[in-house]
Amino acid sequence: MPVEQLDLVFAALADPTRRAILARLADGEATVNELVAPFDLSQPTISKHLKVLERAGLVSRGREAQFRPVRLNATPLEGAALWLGDYRRFWEESLDRLDVFVKELKRKEGRHVSKRRRR
Amino acid sequence: MSANAGAGEPEADREVIITRTYDAPARLLFEAWSKPEHLKKWFGPVGYPVTMCEMDFRKGGQWRAAMTGPGGEQQTPFGGEYLEIVPERRIVFSNGFELPGAEKMIWTVTFDEKDGKTLLTIRTLFASIAQKATHVGAGMKEGMASGLDQLGDLVARLKAGA
Repeated sequence: MPVEQLDLVFAALADPTRRAILARLADGEATVNELVAPFDLSQPTISKHLKVLERAGLVSRGREAQFRPVRLNATPLEGAALWLGDYRRFWEESLDRLDVFVKELKRKEGRHVSKRRRR
Repeated sequence: MSANAGAGEPEADREVIITRTYDAPARLLFEAWSKPEHLKKWFGPVGYPVTMCEMDFRKGGQWRAAMTGPGGEQQTPFGGEYLEIVPERRIVFSNGFELPGAEKMIWTVTFDEKDGKTLLTIRTLFASIAQKATHVGAGMKEGMASGLDQLGDLVARLKAGA
């Protein structure tokens, strides 16, 4: 995920109303009217929040002219989780650590073969 | 994105293959993947140890794990279901972040032993090209393994005298 999109994702998540909208969409797509209902906010305000979420790639709008249901896109959330978990180093270092670990298993096994087990 | 967003996209465009050869028998590598206490010792980058790991290691069994970062905060948990287990040969499981609407990947981990060394192949099949792009952008090296595969093909052809 490009750095610019990461900026947009974290900025979009830095607002409780937008997080609540995402939480609602996790249960399934909804129309703008359905999203307005649970909040004490006007439709233009909700629409403004939706634009921020849409720019970050977190939601998309359906094509149906009348209702245009809003859907959650989880991929940018995943990108944010990957960034937070420092996954850049994940593979190389995991596979290196696995090498150290299996060598350790091998060494232990060798010891069991050459010595009698105590237990 | 819905769970089957990439269903129409060819698998070849949604996969990443990573390989590495280990100086150990397949039995030990399989062992390293099949027990939570083992996985905790190597899975994840330095400084991000797996601090939570639950595994019901059998076909249809669930697994989940999470790493803890240097700040002491647990990272987003991930996990899935074991789809196939062939002892010392192959483990297939689904894997995804525990995030609303997050897509699952399918991991196929294969152990090929020859002369005491084991070729480990990790094939990740992403749910969509978009999910793959997100992971590759986060540091998963694309083409790393396919380069090796091509080298292998070349060596085989040279040996055959072609």
